[in-house]
Amino acid sequence: MSDERSKNRTQVADVDRSLYDFTKSEEGYERYDDGLTPEIVRAISAKKDEPEWMLEMRLRALDLYHARPMAPNWGPSIEGLDLDHISTYVSPKTKQAKSWDDVPEDIKDTFERLGIPEAERESLAGVGAQYDSEIVYHNMREEVAEQGVIYTTIEDALHDPTWEPVVHEYFGTLIPPTDHKFAALHYAVWSGGSFVYVPAGVTLPYPLQSYFRLNAAGAGQFEHTLIIVEPGADLHFIEGCSAPKYYEANLHAGAVELFVKDGARLRYSTIENWSKNMYNLNTKRATIGTDAKMEWVSGSFGSHVSYLYPTTIMAGDRGTCEFTGITFAGATQDLDTGCKVIMNGADTTASVSTKSISKDGGVNTFRSSVVIGRHADRARCSVSCQSLMLDDISRSDTIPAMDVRNATAQVGHEATIGRISDDTVLYLMSRGCSEAEARTLVVNGFANPVSKELPMEYAVEMNNLIKLEMEGAIG
Amino acid sequence: MSTQLLNVSALSAGTEDKPILHGVDLAVGAGECHVLMGPNGAGKSTLGHVIMGDPAYRVTGGRIEFDGADVTELSADKRSLAGIFLSYQAPVEVPGVPLYSFLRSICQMRPELKTTARKFRERVGAIADQLELDQGFLMRELNVGFSGGEKKKIEMLQLLLLQPKLAILDETDSGLDVDALGIVSRGIQAYREQVGGALIVITHNTRILERLEVDRTHVMVHGRMVAEGPAELIADIDKNGFERFERGAGQDDAACAECPGCPMVGDAE
Amino acid sequence: MAEKNGALAADAAGAAPELTLERVNVAPAQTWNRLRTNDITLTVPAHSRAGDVYFSLPRLFEGVECGMGRKVTDWVESQAADARYVEVPRGERREEPIVVAVGTGDVADTGVMVRSGAEATIVVAAGAGEKDGETGTSASLVRIIAEAGARVHLHEYVGVGAGQQHLESVGISAARDARVDVHQYLLGGGTVALGFACDLAGERARVDLGCRYHACGTEVLDINEVVRQRGRNTRSELAYNGVLEDAARKGLRTTIDLVHGAKGAQGNEAETVLVLGDDVVNKTLPTILCDEDDVAGNHGATIGSVSPEQLAFLASRGLSREDAEELFVRALYEDALMHAPCPEARAVVNDSIGDRPLLNHGPDDSKGVCPQLNHPEEA
Repeated sequence: MSDERSKNRTQVADVDRSLYDFTKSEEGYERYDDGLTPEIVRAISAKKDEPEWMLEMRLRALDLYHARPMAPNWGPSIEGLDLDHISTYVSPKTKQAKSWDDVPEDIKDTFERLGIPEAERESLAGVGAQYDSEIVYHNMREEVAEQGVIYTTIEDALHDPTWEPVVHEYFGTLIPPTDHKFAALHYAVWSGGSFVYVPAGVTLPYPLQSYFRLNAAGAGQFEHTLIIVEPGADLHFIEGCSAPKYYEANLHAGAVELFVKDGARLRYSTIENWSKNMYNLNTKRATIGTDAKMEWVSGSFGSHVSYLYPTTIMAGDRGTCEFTGITFAGATQDLDTGCKVIMNGADTTASVSTKSISKDGGVNTFRSSVVIGRHADRARCSVSCQSLMLDDISRSDTIPAMDVRNATAQVGHEATIGRISDDTVLYLMSRGCSEAEARTLVVNGFANPVSKELPMEYAVEMNNLIKLEMEGAIG
Repeated sequence: MSTQLLNVSALSAGTEDKPILHGVDLAVGAGECHVLMGPNGAGKSTLGHVIMGDPAYRVTGGRIEFDGADVTELSADKRSLAGIFLSYQAPVEVPGVPLYSFLRSICQMRPELKTTARKFRERVGAIADQLELDQGFLMRELNVGFSGGEKKKIEMLQLLLLQPKLAILDETDSGLDVDALGIVSRGIQAYREQVGGALIVITHNTRILERLEVDRTHVMVHGRMVAEGPAELIADIDKNGFERFERGAGQDDAACAECPGCPMVGDAE
Repeated sequence: MAEKNGALAADAAGAAPELTLERVNVAPAQTWNRLRTNDITLTVPAHSRAGDVYFSLPRLFEGVECGMGRKVTDWVESQAADARYVEVPRGERREEPIVVAVGTGDVADTGVMVRSGAEATIVVAAGAGEKDGETGTSASLVRIIAEAGARVHLHEYVGVGAGQQHLESVGISAARDARVDVHQYLLGGGTVALGFACDLAGERARVDLGCRYHACGTEVLDINEVVRQRGRNTRSELAYNGVLEDAARKGLRTTIDLVHGAKGAQGNEAETVLVLGDDVVNKTLPTILCDEDDVAGNHGATIGSVSPEQLAFLASRGLSREDAEELFVRALYEDALMHAPCPEARAVVNDSIGDRPLLNHGPDDSKGVCPQLNHPEEA
């Protein structure tokens, strides 16, 4: 083996978890009482100086939250989540900055470690960074702004007379507060997130990126992302999430509402690496118009418990939806992930391809639903789901539901579960790989169809995460 | 000379995005045996499927006459009822339909073959025996899980059952072992003797032709008919290959370079 | 049971005594309730049997998991006339099928013990006879214990009237080297609910299941099938093939459960559904649960109309689209007839055909449809 190659391998082995596990002092930050009351909700709203309709929506959602039960018959346990002791709002004492230099030192340090400004300089059209409950940094390239693209926080949009009516028109319509218990919680206490508006016909040359960091222990993050892509426009939006490790449960209950109009395209990429005390109960939904295209790329590595099923509602004819996802569940993780596709337009096409990897007692559940409505003539959908088991103490379940109500629709579905074959490992070892290298190679190959869909720096991050996880697996 | 059964004139056809056949002519008289040869990708199978009326291909020019009628616009099922049969190179699997139910259905579609269940059973049994086909196959789902040889035998079974006026055998010999080849050859002979139907044998292998009395041989290259001759042409090709025909066709292609998507080389099929 | 007391009260008031079986036929793993694909709720008659004493099955059958679940088992046990227990002695090959014929209003409770190395054929035939205007509920519960090396052939033929309801629950426990093959033909009814559970407890136990269904009109067909693979090197092969017409509603839940310790287990499931009606509701939940690494689980489904390739092939043999679609429906009944193991099963098919013209079943053709299939007693 050449020196060059062995050096590369050493570098890989050097990646360590401390990249994500550092914590920052919370001292001096404003922090609300634990628990959830109308007073807290009013206080959040007052602090944000919101329009009356938003406060009303929050209070309505709070009632719904208290009234709605969790589904008793499916999904991972959320018993570790004690909402009476989760401070629902933690706000760093800083104003949003437009220049990276204005961001407070400790927060800046956090994001610099995660490579955020670096990425912006190189390949992004705009960047937003949220630290706990508030956006701390937002910036966008001038030439993009000149085309009429808006990339700001929802709070700022609500204070802008041009955009307040737009937010009012769309906010909470795709994911209503009645959707489920944690959607209701989200609407009661949401804070931060992004508002993106791409005018008709505008194609962004670079992606926009948001990075979410939850630093405080025992806290919640409830950001709301609202993206409107007008007819014929084209956007790639990237979202990254991470948090340091604590032993207290953290909660992430964000909402992502995506409106993709006729002939428009939106690619939404996520790489999520929440720490393993996180309950990730996130809701993401897109509605797409005639001839529109929605592409999801999703990598889930972190969190203690995840409920995550990005949903695409294909309302117009000839829409297309592609979902590419990977979930990696290690020790103590119970990740219930998948997607939903609702096909109502004629000649719509959807393809779903997911991979999951389970090891060290981790639990993966792939859960999906494909609903083809009465009027979705000639709709075509294919779902492929592959699960890799790396040891015999882990678990991998596949629960795909299909509901087809059109006689001309075609649905294909395939699922496989298995382990790395001994033959493959032996073959690679016969060519000089150690067993550990061979297994890492196979797992990377398994994940490759997903990583190649990610932007470069995220693909690298994902491969590093896999290597990190695999080192633990092989020991 | 026998009366004209099939007359393909100036036929051009292809898939949605790719023309494959360019002005093909082919005439077959009733009861004649023709052989269609050519290298891989010449368009032989496509021609067979277009004559059958496969909706995967679109006719862009020319016409197909069969038994005195223009069938160019006719759907495949109508052509089948009119007496054209195509033996598939890769017969399609049809889960859920027992072979026996299928055979009974396709016979009952044809007034001349309608018969009682008992007589039908006897006929199918006799043909199956002739093809050395275990009758257990009759209960199995059509082509599902059958080996290549079994699928071809079942195509022969349908040929003998339907007694078409014209049978197009698309590489029926490919992928068969010596025993299966012998049985299939005997099936083809039986069709010639009992039914007296015309035959177009598509092949690039001369083995299956040894037992057949061939009337005409056609050579196709790059979607064009490049040569036609008596049975003796087969022996010539067997010895010298297709090279000289390909060279000729290559010049032709250069002349029509402006024709978009023209398959200059390779896989037209 | 609280529900039953309620039903008895209704009885006293003069109304037909009924019991609601809430959320039965449940799969081991469930999903979003708003999809309404997790279970079915059925209303069944509940006649008071206070004071009567009936034979029940040996206690060990209580340990056999049944497809429709405990509530249905309890209900069947409360309603069935004498439970029927059949034992096939060690090493014996029983030629005569064990037939459970269920007519309108019948509730049957059957337990079969197939001893080591023995072989038995069990046939459930529900719904033979005239059914125009018939209403009511019938049910069959069959529990089978297959000891080491036993061979079990289970045939289920269900074809009740459009005004009728049928509940069919099966539980099988298969020991080492036991082999079970199952042939299900679900040919119609108002509401048909079928639950099947098979526990491959011993090493190398194997189940091969073929389920074929045809639902039309406003039929509700609800199927829940569970295979637990506990033993090493166990194997399951599940194949589903159905046709849905008109406004039929079908829910199919299948679960292959690869339990921890089942090293070398393999489970395959495949489903093909042909949807021919504009008002059809076709729901499928094909679940694989995996708690072991040295296993292979596969699932494949194809749902829709006849594929273009099949249509082109069938057209080349003279069949138009309409002919092809008709062939798929007819073939299902012919397949059922071809594989019917006894006259009772054949009667269910014949009485379900209705006015569907079966080409292979003309007036001169009373002896089955295929030369291979003439039964000894008819030859």
